[in-house]
Amino acid sequence: MSEFMSNPGPSISRRSFLKTFGTGAAVAATAQVEAVARQLEKANAEKVLGPDAVPITLLVNGKPVKLQVEPRVTLLEALRDHSGFTGAKEVCDRAACGACTVLLDGKAVYSCAMLAVEAQGQAITTVEGLAQGDKLSPVQQAFVDDDALMCGYCTPGFVMSVTALLKANPHPTADEVERACSGNLCRCGAHPRIVQAALRAAGVSTTSKTEVISYASLA
Amino acid sequence: MKPFQYATATSPAGARQLMGDNGTYLAGGNDLLALMKEYILNPKILVNIKSLPGLNKIQPGGKVWMIGAAVTVAELEDHPGLKKTFPALPQAAAEIASKQIRNVATVGGNLSQHSRCWYFRQRDVLCLKKGGDTCYARHGENKYHSLFAGNTCISPVVSNLSVALTALDATAVVQRGDKQIRMTMPELYAKAWDNPTAHNSLEPGDLILRVEIPAQDRRSAYVQMSEKSAFDWALVSCAAAGKVQGGRISQAKVVLGAVSPVPYQSKAANDFLEGKALDTDTTAKAADLVLEKAHAHSQNGYKIPIVRALIHRTLMQLKA
Amino acid sequence: MPAWPENRVHIGSHAKRVDAPAKVTGAAKYTSDVQPEGWLYGMILRSKWAKAKITRINLDQARKIRGVKAAILRDDTGERTVRYYGEELAAVAGVSKQACLDALRAIEVEATELPFVVNVEDALEESAARVWEDAPNASKPRVREQGEVDKAFSDCAAVVEGFFSTPVQIHHPLETHGNTISWTEEGVTCWASTQGISSVREGLAGHLQLPQSKVRVFSEFMGSGFGSKFGLGVEGGLAARLSKEAQAPVKLMLTRFDESLAVGNRPSTCQKIKLGASADGKLLAFELENYGTAGIGGGGATEGGSGGVEIPAPYIYRVPNTRAKQFSIAVDAGPACAFRAPSHPPASFGMESIMDELAVKLDMDPLELRLKNDPFEIRQKEYRLGAERFGWKEKYRKPGSSPGPIKTGVGCAAAQWWGGGRGTQAEAQVNPDGSVEVRCGTQDLGTGTKTVIAVVAADIFGLNPEQIHVRIGDTQFPPSGASGGSTTAASVSPAIYDACTKALQELQKQTGVADARGENWKVACRKLGVNPLVVHGQWQEGLSSSGVGGVQFAEVAVDTDTGFVKVKKITLVQDGGLIVSKLTAESQASSGVIMGIGYALYEERVMDRQTGVMLNPNFETYKLAGLSDAPEIEIVFLDMPERGVIGIGEPVTIPTAAAIANAVANALGVRVSRLPITPQRVLAALGKDKLSS
Repeated sequence: MSEFMSNPGPSISRRSFLKTFGTGAAVAATAQVEAVARQLEKANAEKVLGPDAVPITLLVNGKPVKLQVEPRVTLLEALRDHSGFTGAKEVCDRAACGACTVLLDGKAVYSCAMLAVEAQGQAITTVEGLAQGDKLSPVQQAFVDDDALMCGYCTPGFVMSVTALLKANPHPTADEVERACSGNLCRCGAHPRIVQAALRAAGVSTTSKTEVISYASLA
Repeated sequence: MKPFQYATATSPAGARQLMGDNGTYLAGGNDLLALMKEYILNPKILVNIKSLPGLNKIQPGGKVWMIGAAVTVAELEDHPGLKKTFPALPQAAAEIASKQIRNVATVGGNLSQHSRCWYFRQRDVLCLKKGGDTCYARHGENKYHSLFAGNTCISPVVSNLSVALTALDATAVVQRGDKQIRMTMPELYAKAWDNPTAHNSLEPGDLILRVEIPAQDRRSAYVQMSEKSAFDWALVSCAAAGKVQGGRISQAKVVLGAVSPVPYQSKAANDFLEGKALDTDTTAKAADLVLEKAHAHSQNGYKIPIVRALIHRTLMQLKA
Repeated sequence: MPAWPENRVHIGSHAKRVDAPAKVTGAAKYTSDVQPEGWLYGMILRSKWAKAKITRINLDQARKIRGVKAAILRDDTGERTVRYYGEELAAVAGVSKQACLDALRAIEVEATELPFVVNVEDALEESAARVWEDAPNASKPRVREQGEVDKAFSDCAAVVEGFFSTPVQIHHPLETHGNTISWTEEGVTCWASTQGISSVREGLAGHLQLPQSKVRVFSEFMGSGFGSKFGLGVEGGLAARLSKEAQAPVKLMLTRFDESLAVGNRPSTCQKIKLGASADGKLLAFELENYGTAGIGGGGATEGGSGGVEIPAPYIYRVPNTRAKQFSIAVDAGPACAFRAPSHPPASFGMESIMDELAVKLDMDPLELRLKNDPFEIRQKEYRLGAERFGWKEKYRKPGSSPGPIKTGVGCAAAQWWGGGRGTQAEAQVNPDGSVEVRCGTQDLGTGTKTVIAVVAADIFGLNPEQIHVRIGDTQFPPSGASGGSTTAASVSPAIYDACTKALQELQKQTGVADARGENWKVACRKLGVNPLVVHGQWQEGLSSSGVGGVQFAEVAVDTDTGFVKVKKITLVQDGGLIVSKLTAESQASSGVIMGIGYALYEERVMDRQTGVMLNPNFETYKLAGLSDAPEIEIVFLDMPERGVIGIGEPVTIPTAAAIANAVANALGVRVSRLPITPQRVLAALGKDKLSS
């Protein structure tokens, strides 16, 4: 508890506060936690931060990351430049391409379009947080198996979008995959195999229909 | 972005005070951050309004549905009750941007978003809307611009939700100072028709609290069309609402987006539709009436047939 | 003469991309990810004027911004005539992005604005402002003639004419141009997002006046380039000088805004074509007048007037009587550079469009007309095979005969390319524990070079590709050429073949093991003792060659009420000699097709003639095809192992837009002859873009 008291962030909501501490406690304990949460909200609220750097704590892939950033620093910058999570990429910085996609409490968002200070109190998942040691997640493995990439620069973003999709919709159609990934761009043109990989991760495998035919065998 | 302060408001009054003279409200932040990154807007303080009590609820009601301004577009898109009762609204929401944006974009933000005209958004061009002398689109690159305009600026409204909500006769409830005022959708955008520097009728410090949609007997639908299949601004969008019985429509409202600074309606067209059978003849005549005052610029005449097509498709969806 | 092994296990297989795991986990470090100790952020100040005389740039206030460690001018004097919106003026380095942003805003620039011209049509006017003061905007036309074209036209049974135009297309690799450069007294280390590490080294050494031996360039992972990333670039030079001034590493990556304006593009074309044939469809006469812009890189100031605007003409087809007159126009906009199959996609668009017009005039099946006139036997077979796979006979109908309002249509088009290679060196290291490292100073822009290396080495050694540790992108490795022109696979594969073959022979010789491959590998390697075996190899004749064809068929559905074009299917048949990696070849094919779809339907640079700025320096209004815009893509490769390795990265993007344009014309009965084929242009072609329709 003291950690939160000494590092007051601006928007630790009651909901996320309770999530962190768990709601499975006995009623009395819950009431106590609720009271603290209300106090915290009041303390945090309306406190003006910045423009100079302020301390924030981001929960990235399950671990707290403590940073000092100006309010104008985006979540993408905080991840890449301030804490070494270079998986999410800066490609457009204008919420138009998806390469910076991370998950916020399981939902896909553009980290370039979010202030780092506002990402506090939510579970941030980056592409670095998906594999279990050496074992790739099903989505990551599917991307490898179907070669759903070329230069790979858009890949972390697509992997996050597909991961979020399958959490919400474990058996999407190809159309639903395309819609869920409409906010991700790939310049190398891996489009068909990205859809294929997403479906594979959802349990529907297809083999490549590309043919290599011996020229000599043609009439 | 220039340096700024940041605070979270706990009440509308607190928000107004924190905002002061040179601040702004921060909801989803997509539009605001984009404008700030180009130095088009440079607020000294961003006041987070996402924690204001009650702003993030969708409340069904027998007489009126209330949708808080901080409800996300994704929540609108997925809401089963809205899909059943006011289908045009989740249909409009589903077409907005991408999943990543819909997950954080809010109703209030979508309604109050700024122009997407590429002259307006250009960091080094001082266009009419930004206080300069010239609407460069008028004699320049205007393929995305308005067919209808009340002033020299031909930048069109691009809020999908505004089009659907207009067809549904929604009202915006806005905190202005210490009063709550109510604006119909046309009132919410009226200022943009008259004033080239306005994106809507909101004044500095105004805070959209919610939109209210009256319970109604009418069906509704929303259709748009873009250059790409997805994640692309509409070239033209259309929402229609109407009561349909025995293949005939009444209490009809047909509204266009992306062709005018305001969600565009024609009273003559709406009146014409009263009691008419929903068929190709009717929709064509309605489109003629909607287009009566259309004025194409050098590059956007192609929007005219698209308007016709979308009016037809949207109205025919009501019949189904 | 060396030859590829008859029994190929991994070569030609569907072996996985060896660096895919690193890319899907975020472990792959691109130039933009590299963070040497104490690194600084770098940023460039760009001109907000299309044309201006810069008289003074004051960096004093910028240097005072907290966190700023260096500020430099592009030109020592601070004086410059800028000739396009976005041209580089100065640069800063600081401890954070924010410090740099603030520093840029604190730079004071004194400038006198000058008249500018950004549109080709405007630049052609006598009264137009001159881009280069001492040269006209239009270059001297180059005319190439053959036979007697005027007489030949009068002998033709059918003659067609048309205007076709293509836009300026921006490469937009997702990783922007940029470098992380560490300047120290001992030398310079540079991580570059580049297609040519040696070209960057050469540029850096020259720019900083250092011996090349003191400059090391890395490019292990690279976020694509499409032809735009050769050489040091203005941004590389600025990063190097910032690093020197700040005495710290500087990472200077361009923003998407920068990338849109200043680092290259595909020139536009405006082609007037006349084509004539005999009654039975034999091409007799061809005339082309073409002009386009390469930005400030074209026009009268350039030698030979090209700047890349010239296109091969007539494209593909041999016509006995031809005249081609081509010139370039300079405008105040970013200069062009090589872009995936330079000059071929626009050439294909013009030629294949007029061919279909001729087919209509002759009342011939467009495929038949092509088969009658295509001189390349491989492509003839590709057409026949592709037509069968695609279902051409079933799908083809006379133009405009599809019932509406959603009209379907089909079209086809051809490609030609070279794609040979040479000159690469490589090194194979076999360790006593059996592990293998293959090193080559080449690049992998997503093309799959690492995988190509791995499968070649694996087949030579009898191992699996996963067992080959591939190392590329270091100027300290044996050198290879730059990765362009679809030459990498054909340059690198033979060198790897040579190094590995020699390593195997040396291993067998040193250890006395007759056949060290496969099962015997570990045992043999152990006999090496303590030291590894390191063997050098180089490109050998006989393992690669040059010259490919390629054809594509397109099926589209056009909504004639809204102008929306949906590409439903593309069938591609491509030869590439020996297909080394089936997986990466397939990826290249769909890559080319999707880039071609962007060129056909969405992409164009939009300049504003009133203000001189670019209106779409972002992905919102410079539109790239998304997942939903991709059609069904059917890919057939023709394997010709006897020809050795030939590159395919470029031919696969050449005919896509042409095939789509032909399909749209076939669907509608009228032609949209200007790319991109937007709803606006479709509706205009249908005469629907007016109030009274």
